[in-house]
Amino acid sequence: MPMKRRTFVKNGLLFSGALTLPSLLPAQVKSSGPLVAQVQGESPYEITKRAVAEIGGMGKIIGRGDVVMIKPNIGWNRTVEQAACTNPEVLRALIELVFTAGAKKVMVMDNTCHKAEDCYQRSGIEAMAKKAGAEVRYCDENRLVAHDFKGEYLGKWPVFRDFLEVDKFVNVPILKHHGSAGLTIAMKNLFGILGGNRGKLHRDMGENIADLAGNFTNHLVLVDAYRVLMRNGPVGGRLSDVELRRTVIASTHIMHAEVAAVVLFGKDPRQMEFLQAAFSRKMGEIEMAKIPFKSLTI
Amino acid sequence: MNTQKGKLWQRLRVGSQVLFIILFFFLLLKSGQAEISFLPFSGFFFYLDPLFLWVNICSGPLLHIFLLALIPFFLTLVFGRFFCGWICPFGALQQFFTWLGSRRKQSKIALSHKSLRWKYLLLIVLLVASLFATQWLGWLDPFSLLTRSSSVSLYPGLNFLAQHALQTGADSQTLAGKISKPLYDFSRQFLLTVKQRTFLQASAIGLIFIGLLLLNLYRRRFFCNYLCPLGALYGLLAKYSLFHLPLNQNCTSCGICANHCTYYGGPFKDYLKSECLVCLNCLNDCPFAAIDVRFGLPRAGQIPALAPQRRKILAAIGCGLAVAALPQIAVSKKMKGHPFIRPPGAVAEKDFLKKCVRCGACMQACPTNAIQPAVLQAGLEGLWTPIIIPVNGYCEYECYRCTQICPTHAIAKLTLAEKKQFKIGTAVINRSACYTYADGYNCAVCEEHCPVPGKAIKLREVEVNNFRGRVKMVKQVYVVPDLCIGCGICENVCPRTDAPAIAVKAEEEQRENPYG
Repeated sequence: MPMKRRTFVKNGLLFSGALTLPSLLPAQVKSSGPLVAQVQGESPYEITKRAVAEIGGMGKIIGRGDVVMIKPNIGWNRTVEQAACTNPEVLRALIELVFTAGAKKVMVMDNTCHKAEDCYQRSGIEAMAKKAGAEVRYCDENRLVAHDFKGEYLGKWPVFRDFLEVDKFVNVPILKHHGSAGLTIAMKNLFGILGGNRGKLHRDMGENIADLAGNFTNHLVLVDAYRVLMRNGPVGGRLSDVELRRTVIASTHIMHAEVAAVVLFGKDPRQMEFLQAAFSRKMGEIEMAKIPFKSLTI
Repeated sequence: MNTQKGKLWQRLRVGSQVLFIILFFFLLLKSGQAEISFLPFSGFFFYLDPLFLWVNICSGPLLHIFLLALIPFFLTLVFGRFFCGWICPFGALQQFFTWLGSRRKQSKIALSHKSLRWKYLLLIVLLVASLFATQWLGWLDPFSLLTRSSSVSLYPGLNFLAQHALQTGADSQTLAGKISKPLYDFSRQFLLTVKQRTFLQASAIGLIFIGLLLLNLYRRRFFCNYLCPLGALYGLLAKYSLFHLPLNQNCTSCGICANHCTYYGGPFKDYLKSECLVCLNCLNDCPFAAIDVRFGLPRAGQIPALAPQRRKILAAIGCGLAVAALPQIAVSKKMKGHPFIRPPGAVAEKDFLKKCVRCGACMQACPTNAIQPAVLQAGLEGLWTPIIIPVNGYCEYECYRCTQICPTHAIAKLTLAEKKQFKIGTAVINRSACYTYADGYNCAVCEEHCPVPGKAIKLREVEVNNFRGRVKMVKQVYVVPDLCIGCGICENVCPRTDAPAIAVKAEEEQRENPYG
């Protein structure tokens, strides 16, 4: 049955009215998103704990008896000082917090770029995570399953089962320079859950990153920017390329944490292809001013 | 000597063999995992090998640690081929399979005693051939053979089986799973590699190894009796050794002492000191305690003749000369370079072929599985010498294990700082395959991975017509040859699935350049 002209006009007005409504209430939109907390300080361990406390505490995120996966960047056979992998002190703070919140089990793993054993060892992450009581796992190619991300660019791709079989997922990247993506932070860090020929995803990298981050639940994002690799990333190696920033950023909103980290690095979020792609997918705000943000030094 | 004592000696011998075989595999396994400072020790068995001392003397400069080989050399003049019977780990494996063979019905087809001379002829062939441009002893030397077979075939093969068996069990929620889970975790921590290691010719080298072991079911200690060049050298010495097994008046000429004799002889029938491995099975077998153990200078006529005939020796020398000469007249010798890359620190190709004993210790030590036994890439004379195949593994920037483990310094000892500078080749981009050139879209995976400070692979933004015919800005990759050290991680990670669009070539490799 054809639609009556009157109904069409009425619906049209109602619909466009509904669309304009949010823009009439800018203040409410700003405060409705989860908070992004940026904390600066001497100890990577302390600032991590503080940042999590600032966004409401781990108890809000982790439930009793949860199995939690913490996914740092362990991609490279590099030391803490070379700032290519997540700071183990940051990881220690998170593991402790997650256990205190009542988690049953904490696992730490990443699909590395260099040889896994080397990366796990030299980064100091394996030793630290084990000491803190987490189970350190290696990516085992026998445990790959095809997972459908249902993105515009990224569809089915092999993922290590371990990442899918947990209750909560905590994303702990290190902020650093990246040749093709510009920067690598939390969204790009998710490449570490993937197997297969990941190099292929570098074509239309921004779109793939946005599809991946938009279709995988991150319960907490904590960006390690204690030491920041400013040039020659993501592998780095030269100490002169590393700057001491003594900062971490925490949020439950991956894109907003990402934007804050880009700003911290000193780049314009609008220049980042993957943020543009995420913005066009309505994953969040791309302008820092529209993000509920709190910065403090301890 | 009574049978009781014979049993004791036999047990001691087996105990010693077990001990040394455990030591050998412990060192081998460790060389793949242990701290770098441990690696020079893992060459323990190589340093006890007089053939390697000879290789070292021929190729110079003398490495003093090889003087250790003089110990078994001179001890053989006292104790006979005790090294073969009591210490050699490959010999122990042969003994084990011989023991397995002794439990099945013996084949009636016997090789004549003359076949024991094969190994002397082989030794002559290899020694003569090694006097010239290439060193050939490593092909058959028992330590080279065992190390190579274990690192390339045995260990990765067992890894595969264990991985799959334990993994399947550990994943299931059954009782079997609960039992195998701790076993799996333990192996994962101490034995298994995260990524299955793969090798060129893993099957060929593995089949040769299995073949050599299975031949023991047909003839006792086949390799030791008929092929081993080290055994041949010790045989020549043992002929004049002080150790001998005379018979006393108890002997009833029953011939039981031949029952388990490794060379089918025995003190009664055919006592050949050059072939006796001092296994002392005969002491145990003799029901009448008729065999004595004595040390003394051999009297004339006591040295049995099992020397190859003169014309056969001449033929062996001729063979050796042919083996030496033929590979040297190949066209590849005239080329400016070669189509393969060697591990960092490898000495100039000419010297490399004189020093490398093809033991494959570097292949076991290489954490990224980059070092591979050459098939024919380096010519026939380069068979099983180490080359780097970047598609299989890259040369890790922070690693210098191969430079520390090479027993003969064919891969020179470098410090980590020196190794980081050592240029093993140069990456070359195939622009008709690289996505950033051929198809016109961003990729740069190679640039990301390049470990050189300041990057030897760089990006430049260029306007190109992409594969849709649109004008687009693309970050094209390019190599700075002077910065590139040829580690090959770019070739390793290139996402092209047909063949990498960037590959390391021996162009500008440092080892051939005296000014490098």
